[in-house]
Amino acid sequence: MSDRVVLCIGTKKGLFVAEGSKTRKKFELRGPFGPGVSVYSALVDTRGTPKIYASSCNPFFGMKVLRSTDMGHKFKETKSAPAFPKDDGRALANIWSIEPGKDKKELWCGVEPAALFRSHDNGDNWEMVQGISNHEHARKWHPGNGGLCMHTIVRDGNRVHLGISTGGHYLSEDGGETFKASNKGVGAGFVPEPFPEFGQCVHKIARHPDAPGRLYMQNHGGWADWDGPGGPRPDIGVLRSDDHGKSWRSIAKGLPSDFGFPIVVHPNDPDTVYVMPLTPATRTCPDGAPAVWRSENGGNSWKRLARGMPKKDSFYTVLRDAMDIDELKEPSLYFGTTTGQVWIGRDGGEDWECLFDSLPPVNCVKVAVV
Amino acid sequence: MTVTIQISALLREYSGGVPDFKLEATSVRAALAEIERLHPQVYRGVCDETGSVRKHVNIFVNTQNTRDGSGLDTQLTPGDVVMILQAVSGG
Repeated sequence: MSDRVVLCIGTKKGLFVAEGSKTRKKFELRGPFGPGVSVYSALVDTRGTPKIYASSCNPFFGMKVLRSTDMGHKFKETKSAPAFPKDDGRALANIWSIEPGKDKKELWCGVEPAALFRSHDNGDNWEMVQGISNHEHARKWHPGNGGLCMHTIVRDGNRVHLGISTGGHYLSEDGGETFKASNKGVGAGFVPEPFPEFGQCVHKIARHPDAPGRLYMQNHGGWADWDGPGGPRPDIGVLRSDDHGKSWRSIAKGLPSDFGFPIVVHPNDPDTVYVMPLTPATRTCPDGAPAVWRSENGGNSWKRLARGMPKKDSFYTVLRDAMDIDELKEPSLYFGTTTGQVWIGRDGGEDWECLFDSLPPVNCVKVAVV
Repeated sequence: MTVTIQISALLREYSGGVPDFKLEATSVRAALAEIERLHPQVYRGVCDETGSVRKHVNIFVNTQNTRDGSGLDTQLTPGDVVMILQAVSGG
Protein backbone atom coordinates (compact mmCIF):
# COMPACT_ATOMS: atom_id res chain seq x y z
CA MET A 1 0.00 0.00 0.00
CA SER A 2 1.35 3.45 -0.92
CA ASP A 3 1.72 5.43 2.24
CA ARG A 4 4.87 7.51 2.01
CA VAL A 5 5.35 10.77 0.14
CA VAL A 6 8.85 11.02 -1.29
CA LEU A 7 10.20 14.32 -2.48
CA CYS A 8 13.39 14.46 -4.56
CA ILE A 9 15.06 17.84 -4.53
CA GLY A 10 17.82 18.34 -7.07
CA THR A 11 20.06 21.22 -6.08
CA LYS A 12 23.23 22.91 -7.17
CA LYS A 13 25.08 20.91 -4.51
CA GLY A 14 23.54 17.48 -4.86
CA LEU A 15 20.30 15.57 -4.39
CA PHE A 16 18.20 15.71 -1.24
CA VAL A 17 15.38 13.29 -0.44
CA ALA A 18 12.56 14.32 1.87
CA GLU A 19 10.10 11.74 3.13
CA GLY A 20 6.83 12.19 4.94
CA SER A 21 3.57 10.45 5.68
CA LYS A 22 0.42 10.99 3.61
CA THR A 23 -0.63 13.73 6.02
CA ARG A 24 2.34 15.70 4.64
CA LYS A 25 2.64 17.64 7.88
CA LYS A 26 6.31 16.95 8.33
CA PHE A 27 9.12 15.78 6.06
CA GLU A 28 12.43 14.29 7.08
CA LEU A 29 15.37 15.35 4.93
CA ARG A 30 18.40 13.28 3.96
CA GLY A 31 21.32 13.99 1.68
CA PRO A 32 23.01 15.49 -0.15
CA PHE A 33 23.70 12.56 -2.45
CA GLY A 34 26.26 13.14 -5.18
CA PRO A 35 27.43 15.94 -2.90
CA GLY A 36 28.74 19.11 -4.42
CA VAL A 37 27.48 18.26 -7.90
CA SER A 38 24.48 19.86 -9.55
CA VAL A 39 21.37 17.72 -10.06
CA TYR A 40 19.05 18.91 -12.83
CA SER A 41 16.70 15.94 -13.09
CA ALA A 42 15.22 13.28 -10.86
CA LEU A 43 12.63 10.56 -11.18
CA VAL A 44 10.78 8.64 -8.50
CA ASP A 45 9.98 5.53 -10.53
CA THR A 46 6.96 3.77 -9.02
CA ARG A 47 6.80 0.98 -11.58
CA GLY A 48 7.48 -2.32 -9.83
CA THR A 49 9.94 -1.98 -6.96
CA PRO A 50 10.23 1.78 -6.51
CA LYS A 51 13.50 3.37 -7.53
CA ILE A 52 14.89 6.87 -7.58
CA TYR A 53 17.03 8.14 -10.43
CA ALA A 54 18.90 11.42 -10.56
CA SER A 55 21.36 13.03 -12.89
CA SER A 56 24.63 14.19 -11.40
CA CYS A 57 26.13 16.80 -13.66
CA ASN A 58 29.79 17.01 -12.81
CA PRO A 59 31.49 19.82 -14.73
CA PHE A 60 34.91 18.32 -14.03
CA PHE A 61 34.46 14.61 -14.63
CA GLY A 62 31.32 14.23 -16.69
CA MET A 63 27.72 13.20 -16.32
CA LYS A 64 26.49 10.39 -14.12
CA VAL A 65 23.14 8.79 -13.46
CA LEU A 66 22.49 7.91 -9.82
CA ARG A 67 20.08 5.14 -8.81
CA SER A 68 18.62 4.20 -5.46
CA THR A 69 16.69 1.00 -4.78
CA ASP A 70 15.93 1.81 -1.13
CA MET A 71 13.93 5.00 -1.59
CA GLY A 72 16.80 7.38 -1.37
CA HIS A 73 18.83 6.12 1.58
CA LYS A 74 21.76 5.12 -0.62
CA PHE A 75 22.62 5.91 -4.23
CA LYS A 76 24.98 4.24 -6.67
CA GLU A 77 26.01 5.25 -10.16
CA THR A 78 24.49 3.22 -12.95
CA LYS A 79 26.99 1.28 -15.06
CA SER A 80 27.01 4.04 -17.67
CA ALA A 81 25.46 7.39 -18.50
CA PRO A 82 24.25 8.66 -21.86
CA ALA A 83 27.12 9.56 -24.18
CA PHE A 84 27.30 10.61 -27.81
CA PRO A 85 29.05 8.24 -30.24
CA LYS A 86 32.73 9.06 -30.66
CA ASP A 87 32.34 10.19 -34.26
CA ASP A 88 29.28 12.36 -33.52
CA GLY A 89 31.16 15.54 -32.69
CA ARG A 90 28.93 16.41 -29.75
CA ALA A 91 29.82 15.94 -26.08
CA LEU A 92 27.35 15.51 -23.26
CA ALA A 93 27.10 18.68 -21.19
CA ASN A 94 24.13 17.96 -18.96
CA ILE A 95 21.22 15.62 -18.27
CA TRP A 96 17.94 17.54 -18.10
CA SER A 97 15.23 14.92 -17.89
CA ILE A 98 14.76 11.29 -16.89
CA GLU A 99 11.36 9.76 -17.59
CA PRO A 100 9.87 6.27 -17.43
CA GLY A 101 9.56 4.40 -20.69
CA LYS A 102 7.19 1.73 -21.94
CA ASP A 103 8.24 -1.27 -19.91
CA LYS A 104 9.40 -1.43 -16.31
CA LYS A 105 13.09 -1.23 -17.07
CA GLU A 106 12.91 1.38 -19.83
CA LEU A 107 14.05 4.93 -19.19
CA TRP A 108 14.21 7.95 -21.48
CA CYS A 109 16.68 10.71 -20.95
CA GLY A 110 16.86 14.21 -22.46
CA VAL A 111 20.27 15.82 -22.52
CA GLU A 112 22.29 18.88 -23.47
CA PRO A 113 23.16 19.43 -26.26
CA ALA A 114 19.62 18.51 -27.16
CA ALA A 115 19.36 14.80 -27.83
CA LEU A 116 17.38 11.82 -26.57
CA PHE A 117 18.68 8.59 -25.09
CA ARG A 118 16.92 5.40 -24.07
CA SER A 119 17.84 2.62 -21.66
CA HIS A 120 16.26 -0.83 -21.49
CA ASP A 121 17.95 -1.92 -18.27
CA ASN A 122 17.22 0.65 -15.57
CA GLY A 123 19.88 3.06 -16.75
CA ASP A 124 22.90 0.78 -16.99
CA ASN A 125 23.25 1.09 -20.76
CA TRP A 126 22.01 3.85 -23.06
CA GLU A 127 21.40 4.21 -26.78
CA MET A 128 20.87 7.44 -28.66
CA VAL A 129 17.44 7.85 -30.25
CA GLN A 130 18.37 8.76 -33.78
CA GLY A 131 15.01 10.14 -34.95
CA ILE A 132 15.35 13.28 -32.89
CA SER A 133 19.03 13.36 -31.94
CA ASN A 134 20.03 13.42 -35.60
CA HIS A 135 16.92 15.21 -36.84
CA GLU A 136 17.53 17.46 -39.83
CA HIS A 137 16.89 20.43 -37.51
CA ALA A 138 19.19 19.27 -34.71
CA ARG A 139 22.27 21.15 -35.85
CA LYS A 140 20.19 24.30 -36.34
CA TRP A 141 18.93 24.53 -32.76
CA HIS A 142 20.68 27.16 -30.70
CA PRO A 143 21.53 27.21 -27.04
CA GLY A 144 20.05 29.88 -24.84
CA ASN A 145 20.97 31.01 -21.39
CA GLY A 146 20.22 27.58 -19.92
CA GLY A 147 22.07 25.72 -22.65
CA LEU A 148 20.64 23.75 -25.56
CA CYS A 149 18.59 21.31 -23.57
CA MET A 150 15.99 18.64 -24.12
CA HIS A 151 14.16 19.11 -20.88
CA THR A 152 10.72 17.61 -21.43
CA ILE A 153 9.68 14.11 -22.45
CA VAL A 154 5.95 13.43 -22.38
CA ARG A 155 4.85 9.97 -23.44
CA ASP A 156 1.27 9.26 -24.51
CA GLY A 157 1.01 5.77 -25.90
CA ASN A 158 2.73 5.80 -29.26
CA ARG A 159 3.02 9.58 -29.15
CA VAL A 160 6.09 11.23 -27.69
CA HIS A 161 6.25 14.97 -27.08
CA LEU A 162 9.63 16.62 -26.58
CA GLY A 163 10.38 20.11 -25.33
CA ILE A 164 13.66 21.65 -26.44
CA SER A 165 15.11 25.00 -25.52
CA THR A 166 15.66 26.44 -27.99
CA GLY A 167 14.24 24.02 -30.51
CA GLY A 168 10.54 23.99 -29.75
CA HIS A 169 8.04 21.14 -29.51
CA TYR A 170 8.64 17.94 -31.44
CA LEU A 171 6.08 15.18 -31.84
CA SER A 172 6.52 11.53 -32.65
CA GLU A 173 3.52 9.38 -33.50
CA ASP A 174 5.44 6.15 -33.99
CA GLY A 175 6.82 5.55 -30.53
CA GLY A 176 9.87 7.74 -30.95
CA GLU A 177 11.19 6.49 -34.27
CA THR A 178 10.57 9.70 -36.17
CA PHE A 179 9.77 13.24 -35.04
CA LYS A 180 8.30 16.36 -36.60
CA ALA A 181 8.48 19.94 -35.37
CA SER A 182 4.96 20.76 -34.19
CA ASN A 183 4.83 24.41 -33.24
CA LYS A 184 1.78 25.92 -34.93
CA GLY A 185 0.77 28.75 -32.61
CA VAL A 186 3.96 28.59 -30.53
CA GLY A 187 5.59 32.00 -30.74
CA ALA A 188 9.10 33.31 -30.21
CA GLY A 189 10.29 36.79 -29.39
CA PHE A 190 13.96 36.50 -30.16
CA VAL A 191 13.88 35.78 -33.89
CA PRO A 192 12.51 37.87 -36.74
CA GLU A 193 9.68 35.46 -37.53
CA PRO A 194 7.08 35.54 -34.69
CA PHE A 195 5.88 31.97 -35.33
CA PRO A 196 8.79 29.99 -36.80
CA GLU A 197 8.60 26.35 -37.80
CA PHE A 198 11.03 25.48 -35.00
CA GLY A 199 13.49 27.18 -32.69
CA GLN A 200 11.07 28.27 -29.96
CA CYS A 201 12.16 28.39 -26.36
CA VAL A 202 9.66 25.94 -24.88
CA HIS A 203 9.99 25.81 -21.10
CA LYS A 204 7.75 22.90 -20.09
CA ILE A 205 4.90 20.71 -21.40
CA ALA A 206 2.36 18.78 -19.32
CA ARG A 207 -0.63 16.55 -19.95
CA HIS A 208 -3.27 14.52 -18.12
CA PRO A 209 -4.16 11.00 -19.23
CA ASP A 210 -7.89 11.66 -18.86
CA ALA A 211 -7.84 14.41 -21.49
CA PRO A 212 -6.67 12.75 -24.69
CA GLY A 213 -5.08 15.17 -27.07
CA ARG A 214 -4.84 18.02 -24.61
CA LEU A 215 -1.47 19.47 -23.65
CA TYR A 216 -0.42 22.53 -21.70
CA MET A 217 2.77 24.44 -22.43
CA GLN A 218 4.77 27.09 -20.64
CA ASN A 219 6.62 28.78 -23.46
CA HIS A 220 9.09 31.63 -23.23
CA GLY A 221 6.72 34.58 -22.95
CA GLY A 222 7.27 38.12 -21.83
CA TRP A 223 7.17 39.74 -25.25
CA ALA A 224 4.06 41.89 -24.84
CA ASP A 225 6.11 45.06 -24.41
CA TRP A 226 8.70 44.12 -26.98
CA ASP A 227 9.21 47.09 -29.25
CA GLY A 228 12.08 45.64 -31.21
CA PRO A 229 12.13 44.35 -34.75
CA GLY A 230 8.92 42.54 -35.61
CA GLY A 231 6.80 44.25 -32.97
CA PRO A 232 5.08 42.97 -29.81
CA ARG A 233 4.19 39.32 -29.39
CA PRO A 234 1.76 39.22 -26.48
CA ASP A 235 0.39 36.17 -24.69
CA ILE A 236 2.61 33.57 -26.36
CA GLY A 237 3.86 32.24 -23.03
CA VAL A 238 1.09 29.99 -21.72
CA LEU A 239 -0.49 27.73 -24.31
CA ARG A 240 -2.85 24.82 -24.75
CA SER A 241 -3.30 22.22 -27.47
CA ASP A 242 -6.37 20.07 -28.02
CA ASP A 243 -5.08 18.10 -30.99
CA HIS A 244 -2.10 16.20 -29.60
CA GLY A 245 0.22 19.16 -29.98
CA LYS A 246 -0.43 19.79 -33.65
CA SER A 247 -1.58 23.34 -32.91
CA TRP A 248 -1.51 25.59 -29.87
CA ARG A 249 -3.49 28.57 -28.60
CA SER A 250 -2.89 31.08 -25.85
CA ILE A 251 -4.46 30.66 -22.42
CA ALA A 252 -2.40 33.45 -20.85
CA LYS A 253 -5.18 35.98 -20.45
CA GLY A 254 -5.71 36.81 -16.79
CA LEU A 255 -2.17 36.06 -15.67
CA PRO A 256 0.09 38.85 -14.38
CA SER A 257 2.82 37.69 -16.76
CA ASP A 258 2.98 35.03 -19.44
CA PHE A 259 6.61 34.35 -18.54
CA GLY A 260 7.41 31.42 -16.27
CA PHE A 261 9.12 28.07 -16.28
CA PRO A 262 7.04 25.19 -14.83
CA ILE A 263 3.52 24.09 -15.72
CA VAL A 264 1.79 21.35 -13.73
CA VAL A 265 -1.55 19.56 -14.15
CA HIS A 266 -3.73 18.41 -11.25
CA PRO A 267 -3.56 14.60 -10.95
CA ASN A 268 -7.33 14.17 -10.64
CA ASP A 269 -8.65 16.92 -12.89
CA PRO A 270 -7.34 17.62 -16.37
CA ASP A 271 -8.95 21.07 -16.33
CA THR A 272 -6.87 22.22 -13.36
CA VAL A 273 -3.45 23.55 -14.24
CA TYR A 274 -0.84 25.54 -12.33
CA VAL A 275 1.81 28.04 -13.40
CA MET A 276 4.15 30.39 -11.59
CA PRO A 277 4.30 33.71 -13.47
CA LEU A 278 7.57 35.62 -13.23
CA THR A 279 8.65 39.08 -14.27
CA PRO A 280 10.18 38.59 -17.74
CA ALA A 281 13.20 40.85 -17.34
CA THR A 282 14.37 39.43 -14.01
CA ARG A 283 12.70 35.99 -13.99
CA THR A 284 11.69 36.65 -10.40
CA CYS A 285 8.40 36.92 -8.51
CA PRO A 286 6.35 39.94 -9.67
CA ASP A 287 6.74 42.80 -7.15
CA GLY A 288 8.64 40.46 -4.87
CA ALA A 289 5.41 38.66 -3.94
CA PRO A 290 5.50 34.99 -4.98
CA ALA A 291 2.31 33.29 -6.09
CA VAL A 292 1.20 30.21 -7.93
CA TRP A 293 -1.72 30.73 -10.29
CA ARG A 294 -4.36 28.06 -10.85
CA SER A 295 -6.92 27.60 -13.57
CA GLU A 296 -9.77 25.18 -12.94
CA ASN A 297 -11.24 25.50 -16.42
CA GLY A 298 -8.38 24.56 -18.68
CA GLY A 299 -6.90 28.04 -18.82
CA ASN A 300 -10.00 30.17 -19.43
CA SER A 301 -9.48 32.02 -16.16
CA TRP A 302 -6.87 32.08 -13.41
CA LYS A 303 -6.80 32.51 -9.64
CA ARG A 304 -3.85 33.70 -7.56
CA LEU A 305 -2.77 31.33 -4.77
CA ALA A 306 -0.45 32.90 -2.22
CA ARG A 307 -1.85 32.32 1.28
CA GLY A 308 1.14 31.75 3.55
CA MET A 309 3.70 33.10 1.11
CA PRO A 310 5.64 36.33 1.65
CA LYS A 311 3.85 39.46 0.52
CA LYS A 312 7.05 41.29 -0.39
CA ASP A 313 10.84 41.13 -0.72
CA SER A 314 11.02 37.67 -2.32
CA PHE A 315 12.85 37.81 -5.62
CA TYR A 316 13.51 34.21 -6.48
CA THR A 317 13.05 32.07 -9.57
CA VAL A 318 11.29 28.74 -9.80
CA LEU A 319 12.92 26.76 -12.59
CA ARG A 320 11.21 24.55 -15.17
CA ASP A 321 11.41 21.29 -13.23
CA ALA A 322 11.16 22.79 -9.77
CA MET A 323 7.39 22.44 -9.30
CA ASP A 324 5.42 19.21 -8.96
CA ILE A 325 2.18 17.88 -7.48
CA ASP A 326 1.56 14.64 -5.62
CA GLU A 327 -1.12 12.18 -6.63
CA LEU A 328 -3.13 11.94 -3.42
CA LYS A 329 -6.87 12.60 -3.34
CA GLU A 330 -6.30 16.11 -1.98
CA PRO A 331 -2.99 16.80 -3.67
CA SER A 332 -0.29 19.15 -2.50
CA LEU A 333 1.94 21.19 -4.76
CA TYR A 334 5.63 21.61 -4.14
CA PHE A 335 8.12 24.07 -5.55
CA GLY A 336 11.77 24.81 -4.98
CA THR A 337 13.45 28.16 -5.43
CA THR A 338 16.78 29.43 -6.63
CA THR A 339 17.23 30.77 -3.12
CA GLY A 340 17.12 27.26 -1.67
CA GLN A 341 13.62 27.08 -0.29
CA VAL A 342 11.11 24.28 -0.79
CA TRP A 343 7.44 25.17 -0.35
CA ILE A 344 4.39 22.96 0.00
CA GLY A 345 0.94 24.13 -1.12
CA ARG A 346 -1.60 22.00 0.70
CA ASP A 347 -5.19 21.52 -0.43
CA GLY A 348 -4.32 21.96 -4.08
CA GLY A 349 -2.25 25.07 -3.44
CA GLU A 350 -4.63 26.92 -1.14
CA ASP A 351 -2.28 27.07 1.86
CA TRP A 352 1.47 27.40 1.58
CA GLU A 353 4.23 26.59 4.03
CA CYS A 354 8.01 26.62 3.65
CA LEU A 355 9.26 23.09 4.29
CA PHE A 356 12.97 23.80 3.96
CA ASP A 357 14.45 27.24 4.17
CA SER A 358 18.14 26.99 3.46
CA LEU A 359 19.02 24.36 0.89
CA PRO A 360 21.36 25.08 -2.01
CA PRO A 361 19.67 26.63 -5.08
CA VAL A 362 16.98 24.22 -6.28
CA ASN A 363 16.99 22.95 -9.88
CA CYS A 364 14.24 20.36 -9.68
CA VAL A 365 11.55 18.95 -7.39
CA LYS A 366 9.88 15.61 -8.08
CA VAL A 367 7.31 13.93 -5.85
CA ALA A 368 5.69 10.51 -5.71
CA VAL A 369 3.59 8.47 -3.31
CA VAL A 370 5.24 5.09 -2.73
CA MET B 1 25.86 49.18 -50.66
CA THR B 2 23.26 50.37 -48.21
CA VAL B 3 21.72 48.03 -45.65
CA THR B 4 19.49 48.63 -42.64
CA ILE B 5 20.57 47.69 -39.14
CA GLN B 6 17.82 46.98 -36.62
CA ILE B 7 18.81 46.56 -33.00
CA SER B 8 17.22 45.02 -29.95
CA ALA B 9 15.46 47.40 -27.57
CA LEU B 10 18.01 46.53 -24.89
CA LEU B 11 20.81 47.99 -27.01
CA ARG B 12 19.05 51.20 -27.91
CA GLU B 13 20.28 53.09 -24.92
CA TYR B 14 23.67 52.85 -26.62
CA SER B 15 22.40 54.11 -29.96
CA GLY B 16 20.80 57.25 -28.62
CA GLY B 17 17.39 55.58 -28.69
CA VAL B 18 17.55 54.93 -32.40
CA PRO B 19 15.90 51.54 -33.28
CA ASP B 20 17.43 51.28 -36.74
CA PHE B 21 19.88 53.02 -39.01
CA LYS B 22 21.40 52.59 -42.42
CA LEU B 23 25.04 52.05 -43.28
CA GLU B 24 27.27 50.91 -46.10
CA ALA B 25 28.63 47.35 -45.91
CA THR B 26 29.11 44.29 -48.10
CA SER B 27 29.28 41.70 -45.30
CA VAL B 28 28.19 41.25 -41.71
CA ARG B 29 31.79 41.67 -40.62
CA ALA B 30 31.99 44.98 -42.48
CA ALA B 31 28.66 46.03 -41.01
CA LEU B 32 29.93 45.37 -37.49
CA ALA B 33 33.07 47.39 -38.23
CA GLU B 34 30.87 50.23 -39.33
CA ILE B 35 28.69 49.86 -36.22
CA GLU B 36 31.86 50.03 -34.11
CA ARG B 37 32.74 53.31 -35.80
CA LEU B 38 29.28 54.84 -35.63
CA HIS B 39 28.02 53.42 -32.32
CA PRO B 40 30.94 51.97 -30.35
CA GLN B 41 28.82 51.15 -27.31
CA VAL B 42 26.37 49.17 -29.42
CA TYR B 43 29.31 47.26 -30.87
CA ARG B 44 30.63 46.43 -27.41
CA GLY B 45 27.23 44.96 -26.58
CA VAL B 46 27.33 42.76 -29.64
CA CYS B 47 30.98 41.66 -29.82
CA ASP B 48 33.55 40.80 -27.20
CA GLU B 49 37.16 41.99 -27.05
CA THR B 50 38.23 39.40 -29.64
CA GLY B 51 35.70 40.57 -32.19
CA SER B 52 33.52 37.48 -31.74
CA VAL B 53 29.78 37.90 -31.55
CA ARG B 54 28.74 37.41 -27.95
CA LYS B 55 27.36 33.97 -27.07
CA HIS B 56 23.80 35.13 -26.45
CA VAL B 57 23.51 37.52 -29.37
CA ASN B 58 22.18 36.45 -32.75
CA ILE B 59 22.56 38.39 -35.99
CA PHE B 60 19.96 37.77 -38.67
CA VAL B 61 20.19 38.87 -42.28
CA ASN B 62 16.55 39.27 -43.18
CA THR B 63 15.23 36.09 -41.50
CA GLN B 64 18.37 33.94 -41.70
CA ASN B 65 20.46 33.46 -38.59
CA THR B 66 24.06 34.05 -39.65
CA ARG B 67 25.21 31.34 -37.23
CA ASP B 68 23.52 28.82 -39.55
CA GLY B 69 25.47 30.08 -42.55
CA SER B 70 28.72 31.92 -43.04
CA GLY B 71 28.67 33.84 -39.77
CA LEU B 72 30.53 37.13 -39.96
CA ASP B 73 31.42 36.41 -43.57
CA THR B 74 27.77 36.41 -44.61
CA GLN B 75 27.52 38.60 -47.69
CA LEU B 76 25.03 41.45 -47.85
CA THR B 77 23.04 42.71 -50.78
CA PRO B 78 21.49 46.18 -51.19
CA GLY B 79 18.35 46.58 -49.08
CA ASP B 80 19.16 43.73 -46.67
CA VAL B 81 17.92 44.12 -43.11
CA VAL B 82 20.43 43.06 -40.46
CA MET B 83 18.71 42.37 -37.14
CA ILE B 84 20.69 42.12 -33.92
CA LEU B 85 18.70 40.27 -31.23
CA GLN B 86 19.42 38.73 -27.87
CA ALA B 87 19.07 34.94 -27.81
CA VAL B 88 17.27 34.88 -24.52
CA SER B 89 16.15 31.56 -23.10
CA GLY B 90 16.90 29.01 -20.49
CA GLY B 91 16.33 28.64 -16.78
